[in-house]
Amino acid sequence: MATIEVQRQILPILASPNQGARFYNPELPSSEPFVPGHRTCAGCGPSIQYRMTSKAAGDNTILVGPTGCMYVANSSYLCTPYNVPWAHTQIGSAGSFTAGVAAAYEAMIRKGKWKGPYPNIICEAGDGSASDIGLASISGALYRNHDCLIICYDNEQYANTGIQASSRTPYGGMTTFSPPGPEVPEGKKLFPKDLARMMAAGHPHCYVATASVGYPIDLMNKVRKGLNHRGAAYLMVYTPCQKGFVYETPRSIDLARVVVECGLYPIWEWNPEKREFDYSFRPQSIRPVSEYLKLQGRFGHLHAEHIATVQQFANQQWKMIGVELPEALVQAADPRNQVNMAAAAEAEAIAETV
Amino acid sequence: MSTKGTKIPDWLTVPFAGITPAPSQDKGQNLFPTGNWRAIRPVYRDKLPPCNNACGTNEKIQGYLDLVKRGKYLDAYALIKEDMPFPSVTGRVCYHPCEQACNRGKYDEAISIRAVERFLGDLGQALKHDVVKPGKPNGKKVAIVGSGPAGHSAAYQLARMGYKVTILEKSPKPGGLNRGGIPVWVLPPHVLDREIERLIELGVTIKTNTEVGKDVSWDDLKKNYDACVLAVGLTEANSVRAEGENKEGVLYGLPFLRDIGMGTSKVKLGPRVAVIGGGNTAIDCAREALRQGAVEVTMITIEANEQEMPASPEDLHDMLEEGVDLWHGRAMTAVLGNGKVESLQLHPARFSGAINASPITIERGAPAEKFAVDHVIIAVGQHASLSWLPAEFKNERGTIKIDRFGRLGDTNFFAAGDIAQFGSGQPLMVVNAVGDGKRVAFNLDKALRGEPLQPRTIAIDVIMDLNRMNMTYFPHFPRVHQGMLNPFTRKKTQDEVIQSFTEEQAVEEAARCFSCGTCNACDNCYLVCPEPCITRPARSNGLYKIIVDYCKGCRVCIEECPTGCLEGVPELDFDTGVVRMDTAFAISPGLHGRQAQELVNLSSRPAKEI
Amino acid sequence: MPTATAAKKKTVRINGCVASAQAAKYADVDVIAAYPIRPYTATMMALAQMVANGELDAEYIVADSEHSQLSIAHGASSSGARVFTGSSGVGVQFAYELYSPISGSRMPVQMMIADRTLDPPGDFGSEHTDALSTRDMGWLMGWACDAQEAFDNHLIAYRIGEDKRVLLPQMVCQDGFFVSHITTDVELPDSGQVREFLPPYKHPYPLDPRHPVSHGPQIMPEQGPPLQLERARAMEDSMAVIEEVHKEFGEIFGRHYDPWLEEYKTDDAEVVFFLQGGHGVTARFAIQHMREKGLKVGMVRLRTIRPYPTDRVCEVLSKFKVVGVIETNMALGSPASGGALYADACAALYEAPERPLVISFMAGMGGEAIVLKEFYWMTEKMIQAQKRGKIEKRTHWVGFEE
Repeated sequence: MATIEVQRQILPILASPNQGARFYNPELPSSEPFVPGHRTCAGCGPSIQYRMTSKAAGDNTILVGPTGCMYVANSSYLCTPYNVPWAHTQIGSAGSFTAGVAAAYEAMIRKGKWKGPYPNIICEAGDGSASDIGLASISGALYRNHDCLIICYDNEQYANTGIQASSRTPYGGMTTFSPPGPEVPEGKKLFPKDLARMMAAGHPHCYVATASVGYPIDLMNKVRKGLNHRGAAYLMVYTPCQKGFVYETPRSIDLARVVVECGLYPIWEWNPEKREFDYSFRPQSIRPVSEYLKLQGRFGHLHAEHIATVQQFANQQWKMIGVELPEALVQAADPRNQVNMAAAAEAEAIAETV
Repeated sequence: MSTKGTKIPDWLTVPFAGITPAPSQDKGQNLFPTGNWRAIRPVYRDKLPPCNNACGTNEKIQGYLDLVKRGKYLDAYALIKEDMPFPSVTGRVCYHPCEQACNRGKYDEAISIRAVERFLGDLGQALKHDVVKPGKPNGKKVAIVGSGPAGHSAAYQLARMGYKVTILEKSPKPGGLNRGGIPVWVLPPHVLDREIERLIELGVTIKTNTEVGKDVSWDDLKKNYDACVLAVGLTEANSVRAEGENKEGVLYGLPFLRDIGMGTSKVKLGPRVAVIGGGNTAIDCAREALRQGAVEVTMITIEANEQEMPASPEDLHDMLEEGVDLWHGRAMTAVLGNGKVESLQLHPARFSGAINASPITIERGAPAEKFAVDHVIIAVGQHASLSWLPAEFKNERGTIKIDRFGRLGDTNFFAAGDIAQFGSGQPLMVVNAVGDGKRVAFNLDKALRGEPLQPRTIAIDVIMDLNRMNMTYFPHFPRVHQGMLNPFTRKKTQDEVIQSFTEEQAVEEAARCFSCGTCNACDNCYLVCPEPCITRPARSNGLYKIIVDYCKGCRVCIEECPTGCLEGVPELDFDTGVVRMDTAFAISPGLHGRQAQELVNLSSRPAKEI
Repeated sequence: MPTATAAKKKTVRINGCVASAQAAKYADVDVIAAYPIRPYTATMMALAQMVANGELDAEYIVADSEHSQLSIAHGASSSGARVFTGSSGVGVQFAYELYSPISGSRMPVQMMIADRTLDPPGDFGSEHTDALSTRDMGWLMGWACDAQEAFDNHLIAYRIGEDKRVLLPQMVCQDGFFVSHITTDVELPDSGQVREFLPPYKHPYPLDPRHPVSHGPQIMPEQGPPLQLERARAMEDSMAVIEEVHKEFGEIFGRHYDPWLEEYKTDDAEVVFFLQGGHGVTARFAIQHMREKGLKVGMVRLRTIRPYPTDRVCEVLSKFKVVGVIETNMALGSPASGGALYADACAALYEAPERPLVISFMAGMGGEAIVLKEFYWMTEKMIQAQKRGKIEKRTHWVGFEE
């Protein structure tokens, strides 16, 4: 059978915005695959992620959107904001629908039914889809190594359904499925699934990385590395949700930096050629977790021991990526060195008067 | 057949299977304006950076630093030349109030602005043709009296506006205080000469050895020129009114430096020299004294310590490094000696009020000190020499009586520089004189064109609070220091003490600039907008636009603006671009019908470039 | 219109599964989504070998579940590829979420079903409940009774489903084992005939970066009804296309099918069996046997159940005195408390001026063959009802009653 060779795109890597002392974003791609007019909340983290990701990918791109905020709020009332092909799919179909698109283009190009370079095929799954219901389908797509990029935009909960706990919701995070109360003062008792690491460990032939909207160029470059990688790639991106996290909307990017600086969202890459983790990314500073927690209403109920528990978790994460712990962080993991969140203290005071 | 006879009404027509055609890239999806969610609107509003504000001539410092960052040196040089005719001079001699005001100073270390200015000035000097061109001749003639900083600046600006400018200079060489008040190891003469050449290239005529009141009269000026700028400076040295000041060996600061600068000095200093005064001229005199052969130089000031001295701290530091002794809290009350100075009589003294601006209290009852010297140089300021000026234009301070525009009554005479600024609270520094010359030039132009004159504006919003910027984007970086000659060898030579920046150093240092309050097209707002409703046809200050139909007012752009040029303004303050509630639901009759039609026509639309 | 290349066709001895695989190969499918479950697995095994041999250029994807199979098919079809997938039994159910989205997005995915009884307990035998449970999801659906018909149905279904006037997915069903695993002679056409009959797939609005569109955005409640109405219209409008395509198929391939019903010895029949799928083959033999005994019995075999040929069913069945519906499926608690075919048949007959009596027979359940004795027993029940003018009860469990 005569077949046509599939041409694949190679996207250039963007320069760092911090060139020495200078902050100045590099020349960004001109295409705008994501345009305004969608109904995401003001300051939406996943939406910021969508903007950066699609811009990095460019116009020869197909987006797959399993059910989640980026489907419900973005494509409302037939008012699509996507200037490249986009398709909704079922929340559990993230990896499989994407695999179908990828397979279709492999076959169609090979058989001369579609002419052009192989498109960037990107799946934008929320953490509910990526860590729970669609986990198997994504694992399948990664395992089979379709040439596609699967992104988990991780807002640590099911948000568009009204803030329910997912397996990415952090310990202590208040959601409508993990509310705090006298018997369960911490709210969510379980620690989040280490999703990206699981993907790297289970699919070592794939490019896997974590990123945060707090580091846009890093994120955009990881998108491009994932797309340039011949085969499947997986990216987990921290995208704060102002509705669920309960913070002031202007802080969306700031929060996405602080979470990394607090060690709660380690940024790394899995190098499929060398089969090893690259832990060279370092935030500008290292801070105690309380600086991250205090910015968000969803942690307002935490007591000192819970904050210390989160710090212990963060300290483990720091160690995992080879950072020597500053003494302050070791101290912060001791509940005696923590104080209750304001709301928790207030609630206790009220309880005493009743 | 259940669907037989059914018809979908126009207002419910939807595209096939709900498949929606892609929106347009420039207009957004055009169906669902979310702008009415907004309570606060982001607005690009550049503030005045403190450096620009502090600069005596309001150089667009942030602007040229930004251009240097990008390697656009020629543009940077052109920008600096808007306000400053001789950046190679000020890049060496300026007391840089910009650096004192620099916000970075509160963060780590101030930007070395003067060094970058010098880099640009030297670059300009090397150009075959200057970027600045004379204006279209307007047929009007202006005389400038004095070729010092203020006169040079006024002549430069007027030439650019098309005036035929003639400078009258009483000295044999042009330059005024630039030549006569600044030692050559700070400002090598060839640098100044080149800047004067540039001025002549603009069509300015300089008549040296031409003194007003002697060679040219007031009436000549009035008759031969359409207007005149008096930038005569303060030429006469102040005395300290000590006994025996007329003895041989008593020198005055400015004439001492001027004679060396003009090459007419005949002074041979003895090994022990005292300098009276605590300002910049006194420091220059002390350091010059070392180079003129003195071995022990002592500076004697009224001020009680180094901090009180009205001098540039770097210059003071460099002076001490060169081995000058510094004595505080003393006044020279007499010069002792037999016809020639042999020693000084010193008494404890202090300012009775504000430092350097109040009468001096001398404790004459206290025991006097006797300090043996070979020469004493008195550098305690200057005053004017205005015998040629009609009395009606003289004021009680001994300078020229001008209005707030620098104008002498309703004449076409203006005054600029030290002569105008003395006693006004402005520091008598090169850059202030340049600024004054510039402003007077513009007002002179307005006066001749019959337009209302413009007073010196006061900046409304100088951004000084680091909290108004986002410091996250600025990692701490040390200041790049200029190279210096070794203090032990340099003090015996006339070699320029401070070295130039290399190109790499200039860029590295300019890169430290915060661009306080001013858009430098870093693209951060553009990148972090969740909508995204920030557009820009090109990357440049002023071209960033917010599509207010969609902006939800999340304020991420404002928070993430590194420089603080974006600010939030309550939506109620606007009457344009407001998205009303009645447009909240774009689902109006026929809307999706249009989409449906668009979808049908999809294949006939030109294919998108991919 | 017979073609010049017709001479290149050949007859092979294959089972229903392999016939389906051959049909997919002739249709030159681009993407195949496989997942193992008996009995349809043999189709995917055959296709895997064809791809390995280089006989078929297609992306062969071993999915991680039936849900993924259907999602892969959906994604590939949305991109403009011709796709083939399939399943059996609970596998059909596992993918249930996707049936409505695929038809709602109007993607002509084709799915091969070799029926299998649903759990519990694990039973490999054929019952039609697996596919029938999805019958109202907007998929074109029909049963073949032998391997040749299965082969033909796949090509016909692609042609109908991909027609611009239709654009709906298709379930091409065959009984597990009776059809899927019994080898018979199958005539394979010349590929030129297939090219003439089945043009390449071209969706009008695929996911194409050069003509970007959004598939399946959220809608407001009032936008639902027009979309549903259009989907219903497509299903109804497909009926004309179905007739047209079957006619053309007959002209090209020389095998002429009534798209809706096969009538067997109905000319003078008073009682008829109404059924679908592989039991039609045994029914033909039983009817011959009973005819020799003088019983006026015939058979009406439903070939297409979605869209349901209501008028045809009404017109044909109302000619008889008694209709015995052989269900081969479970519809627990349904109107007849038996199978699902009864209710559709009765509904179709409701407007007939002369209605026959209708009895539902729970026969052939669990993949058991319906033996001759049982056909006699059921015929007896129908004749009794004809004589009595009244049915004894709506549903009989054949083999469990006197």
